[in-house]
Amino acid sequence: MTVSVTRTPSAKITWSRYRHPASTIRFSVILLILCFLAYSVHFLNIDLARIVGAFPRLATILATRYVPPDMGYVVEPAFVRSVIRTLEMSLLGGFFGVLISIPLAWMAARNITISRKIAYPLGRFSIIGCRSIHETIWTILFVTVLGFGMLAGTLALTLFCIGFAGKLFSDELEAIDMGPVEALRSAGGTPLQVFQWGVIPQIRVAFTGIAIYTWDVAFRAATVVGFFGGGGMGWYLKRTTQQLETTRVAAILLVIIGMVLMAEIGSSWLRSRINKMK
Amino acid sequence: MTSAPTVSEDSGFAAWKEDARKRRTKNWILLGATILVLLWCIHDTIMFDTDWERMGVLGVGTAIGRFFDIDWSLLPRLVVPAIETLMIATLGTILGCLFSLPVAWLGAANVTPSKLIAYPIGRFLMVLSRSIHEIIWALLFVGAVGLGALPGILAVAMRSVGFISKITAEAIENIDSKPVEAIRAVGGNQFQVMYYGIVPQILPVIIGTIIFEWDINIRRSAVMGLVGAGGLGLLFFRQMAMFNYGGVTLVVLTVLLLVALGEVVSHFARKAVI
Amino acid sequence: MRHDLVSNMSGGAGITRSGLAPPLLDVQGLGVRYSANGPQILKDVSFSVSGGDFCAVIGPSGAGKSTLIRCINRLVEPIEGSITLFGQDVRKLQGTGLRHMRRRIGMIFQEFNLVNRMSVMDNVLSGRLGYIGPFRSFFKAFPKADVDHALYLLERVGLQDHIAKRADALSGGQRQRVGIARALMQRPELLLLDEPTSALDPKISRDVMGLIRELADELHVPVLCNIHDVELALETCNRIIGMQDGYKKFDGPTAGMRKQDLDEIYSMEVL
Repeated sequence: MTVSVTRTPSAKITWSRYRHPASTIRFSVILLILCFLAYSVHFLNIDLARIVGAFPRLATILATRYVPPDMGYVVEPAFVRSVIRTLEMSLLGGFFGVLISIPLAWMAARNITISRKIAYPLGRFSIIGCRSIHETIWTILFVTVLGFGMLAGTLALTLFCIGFAGKLFSDELEAIDMGPVEALRSAGGTPLQVFQWGVIPQIRVAFTGIAIYTWDVAFRAATVVGFFGGGGMGWYLKRTTQQLETTRVAAILLVIIGMVLMAEIGSSWLRSRINKMK
Repeated sequence: MTSAPTVSEDSGFAAWKEDARKRRTKNWILLGATILVLLWCIHDTIMFDTDWERMGVLGVGTAIGRFFDIDWSLLPRLVVPAIETLMIATLGTILGCLFSLPVAWLGAANVTPSKLIAYPIGRFLMVLSRSIHEIIWALLFVGAVGLGALPGILAVAMRSVGFISKITAEAIENIDSKPVEAIRAVGGNQFQVMYYGIVPQILPVIIGTIIFEWDINIRRSAVMGLVGAGGLGLLFFRQMAMFNYGGVTLVVLTVLLLVALGEVVSHFARKAVI
Repeated sequence: MRHDLVSNMSGGAGITRSGLAPPLLDVQGLGVRYSANGPQILKDVSFSVSGGDFCAVIGPSGAGKSTLIRCINRLVEPIEGSITLFGQDVRKLQGTGLRHMRRRIGMIFQEFNLVNRMSVMDNVLSGRLGYIGPFRSFFKAFPKADVDHALYLLERVGLQDHIAKRADALSGGQRQRVGIARALMQRPELLLLDEPTSALDPKISRDVMGLIRELADELHVPVLCNIHDVELALETCNRIIGMQDGYKKFDGPTAGMRKQDLDEIYSMEVL
């Protein structure tokens, strides 16, 4: 025998799915975002139908104009040299960027910064400043001041890396165990000693991983800075795009994708090796 | 005089000293190699390429100085481009999120339709999306849809797919099977099992990731002016073309401000969702 | 042996298998193997459950108790044997038929199996998912009768002050009560319990089992319960099935259980 009659609760208990203020806030936020999206589509004159049509059209263009890629172009010595130079730029930018970002990250870490009033805002602001500005904008700015060439590109990459690694480093620093730091401070260590003996041992593995990751991302950026005058293989990309030599563009793109994929595989392998080692 | 404590040669102090020495040697070699590589890189790139005549402190100083002469008259004309950049970022993120769902479904080991074919395809798409720079995506889309805001939005969307789908796939792979079992036991169908058992577990993670990516996309949207997408990127290029360096500085500062604001919003929004 | 509670058990169709009404659940020759080369977890198990039964399945770890329970609603697939429930062959059911069967069976889990981020109310309401259509499911728009019944059940299990809280904000005992309410929301014709008290401490365990017993009696729902705590089983249940190493070793009313029966069931268990 089953219970088919519905029981009702005693009069005082009620429940409603809509709860003020939580539900009101949630609905208003969602409504606001939807309105913003709708207005954006209207304001920017976007034809939604074209979004759907974009991919088939892209595929057609790739199939007709970009294939077959002109691989002969990319094995020319000048191009190969530019690829090597791109790699070198990424190494320099990565190295110096990571190096400079370490003291900045130290300043920007709330828990171990030297002075909360001065160093902390300075460190935070520097890192945010470097991070907020896209690497291509940095490239253009440096090119204006220093002229075309790899110096501008490398400096742009350096600043990009400062921002990228700086944020990751400072997040990592803020999550350390303060125990050893406290112990060293109470033993009378200088800030530098505390950093070297209390902080670095804790974060060494994570930092190496972040450094490798930063280089990986810097390499991707390095392939493109030449487009804006920063030297490296990006310059060839710009020239072939402007002259509508699409098969050559395809070849360059394939090289870029291939190298970035290799760098990604290499860097993730290296990072997992390091994690296992220490 | 007391004699030194006897310790076996294989352990203890002697071994520690030996280890330390080996480590030090290794570190010196590593340092030396790094310095050599760096010097070579510098030689090959910067030394080779730079226009040293322009490098005089005076030349560089003047060039930088021009940027500090801020053109305040540009101020009122910053508002609309700033909003445009936000629009591109938001639309791009939402679009990217839509594209990410099927990719995440393919790339999650426990729900993928085929472990041999669909799963590697899903993973490959994730890596591909992250590997192609947004500028390159933008160039490709300009060829397909012409100049304007659309290629910029599509480029931002395609670039975001990689990260969002990766996190989503990981969240799907880490779900707790117990609520899923309960909904099946109650007599729920496929949709109910997914909607009541799986979605509540992964939704907060996904939304947090979308907000995080939206913040990063503000930065990317700012350079979509290259493809005529409007926003602060376009304003930047125009000011550069007019050699109005004071205006350029102001635009860059606005971008900085916008990204910082985005970071604050993202921080609080993510807290609210979790 | 505690006989006090046991002797007070009122029956519906009675405890005896030779009774008048056909059994609600009839299991014959059940066999389960998880993988082709693996060991056989259940070996030729046969028993039946009738209305008014509060039947405990006891035995040492690895005896196959949990597997047995899970076969009834086919969360585990048997390789041989038959399961007849409400007059239907459970093993033949597919898709919608299986779901309709499952919604008539309420299940209470060891680890509560609640949806942690959902509210207590939504967790209880999700017991009705087998009965509502796609639109109602998507918008979580359960009929008012269901909401009222849910509130009644929540009051009955003592959680009226926690209705809007998230499920993971509750203690273990409270979460299991939510599980009980969810199972009863289905207005089940059979209750399956898979070690409902193993994750709870002893006093709470007694409260929870007492509550289930009370509700099962009140709503006239037969219960098949996999329970680890033998004493609790003997206190609460009116019938015992003893399992060992996949075989059924004992099957009879609690009152008829002797110490040597218990010893025999647990004889293989290493200290």
